[in-house]
Amino acid sequence: MSRYFTNIYDTVNTLWTGMRITFRHMMNIRRDNVTLQYPEERWPRPERNIGFNHEDYNVIRSRLHVDIDDCIGCYRCERACPVDCIKIDTIKSDRGEDIPTVKHTGVTSNGTKKGFVVSRFTIDMSECCYCNLCTYPCPEECIFMVGGPNSSKHPIDYEFSEVDRKDLIYEFAKKLTPKQRENLTKTDEKAEA
Amino acid sequence: MVLNIGPQHPSTHGVLRLEVTTDGEIVSKITPHLGYLHRCFEKHAENVTYEQVIPFTDRCDYLASMNSNFGYVVAMEDLMEIEVSERVQYIRVIMAELNRIASHLLALGVYGLDIGAFTPFLYMLRDRERILDMFEYTCGARLLYNYMWIGGVSHDLPKDFEKICIEFLDYFEPQIDEYNNLLTYNKIFIERTADVGIIPADIAISYGVSGPNLRGSGVSWDVRKDEPYSIYDRFEFDIPTGTGEFGTLGDCFDRYWVRMLEISQSAKIIRQALKDLPGGDVFETMPKKIRPPKGSIYRRTESPRGDLGYYIMSDGTPSPTRVKMRSPAFTALSCLDEVSSGWMISDVLAILGSLDIVLGEIDR
Repeated sequence: MSRYFTNIYDTVNTLWTGMRITFRHMMNIRRDNVTLQYPEERWPRPERNIGFNHEDYNVIRSRLHVDIDDCIGCYRCERACPVDCIKIDTIKSDRGEDIPTVKHTGVTSNGTKKGFVVSRFTIDMSECCYCNLCTYPCPEECIFMVGGPNSSKHPIDYEFSEVDRKDLIYEFAKKLTPKQRENLTKTDEKAEA
Repeated sequence: MVLNIGPQHPSTHGVLRLEVTTDGEIVSKITPHLGYLHRCFEKHAENVTYEQVIPFTDRCDYLASMNSNFGYVVAMEDLMEIEVSERVQYIRVIMAELNRIASHLLALGVYGLDIGAFTPFLYMLRDRERILDMFEYTCGARLLYNYMWIGGVSHDLPKDFEKICIEFLDYFEPQIDEYNNLLTYNKIFIERTADVGIIPADIAISYGVSGPNLRGSGVSWDVRKDEPYSIYDRFEFDIPTGTGEFGTLGDCFDRYWVRMLEISQSAKIIRQALKDLPGGDVFETMPKKIRPPKGSIYRRTESPRGDLGYYIMSDGTPSPTRVKMRSPAFTALSCLDEVSSGWMISDVLAILGSLDIVLGEIDR
């Protein structure tokens, strides 16, 4: 019989303790409020001294971007990708005749001479697992996640949902006309011969 | 009567189907049906290089990715005989313990949710969020980090990480009392969990149950203490075990309570590690090419769910011949049938929640 009443007492007592805590939080709602009204307000992205030094590398995980003018077509990012979402095709180019829209000859911003025309550079962001493994081996530092050190050129973008899945496949290579492509492959054969 | 719980059920913690055979409301047999989340981790690992396996280990135990990474890199470093620098070791321990806190907070909060208490869940997720913010500050990702690499970590700690971490711990440790007042000592919660789903120590051992579930049965077994890997032998911490405080030894409450105590032990380890965190370069011991010698290795580490083992077999090529993952949640789930027969359906959900399973790890 006494156990029956102890049980009731315990229940009421512990419930009261819990209610007191929630009530205290309700009273301090202005101070304790952690909810963010998402589309209007956003969490600040972590600011960090980010550069392309290996010590303070890009810590942002967002949409991948390629500065195709700097790409030399070395396939290292494609090989590093664990889910094979990067696909690259290159055509070996003959030096001398530059196509103005493609700029396949010349040097990158790091000063490396380009030897290939990157005819296809697609990243399927629906397959990307945001592991950041592709950005490390790049010798020209031209593949990166937007935001961070490049936020002046490419602001952070983590809201890029699309209606159609095909729209998530990003093409970075400059378009070649069939004529240009034919010319390039022709020079290729000439070089082999 | 045969009742299917799941695969789309909030209490099964993922896509798990339980085929429950009942007599009235008393359960006589449970058959768990797995495989809804099978992503061929082990087979897939054979087709990628060693460093590319790490993002996949993240996705096994997605609530404690740091610990999954940790187990894999510890095994790989022992296979390749790499001595990792001091700073990397300390950073790894800090990250693993922070992730343990985050994982336990989710486990405890969701357990309250299973039983029917909604408020503690929100309070615990609020604090878990701050840990995830710290991870985001460190490596950019909030859940699937790919942070620990073979021979190093992907990013050094930010300069003011120490300050942020201490600030968080100072804020967080008093919160544990609040959780206790809110949920643990609540009479209704105790009535739902104490004396329910008892796993005796011998049954737990015979099923290979490990981690907090085993310690809840009163067995003091922790890989961090009994078989120290990395630098866990340098820290001072206790291994909380179940005592049967409100009921029988090894009941649901004990498993819950062990997790609650482990949170404060993890906080203690983090404080010690932050205090003697050495300087140095985190990349110096990272090998240029990862090509381990022929041979195989098995290493186990303590993840928030128990002994997480990795068996890695190498034939000298850049990709592994075989990767096997010993999942602690899988063994915990396997004893569900034995433990929960004789209880009511509503108790089955309480038992399942107390085992703290993650389906990503069970199905792999």
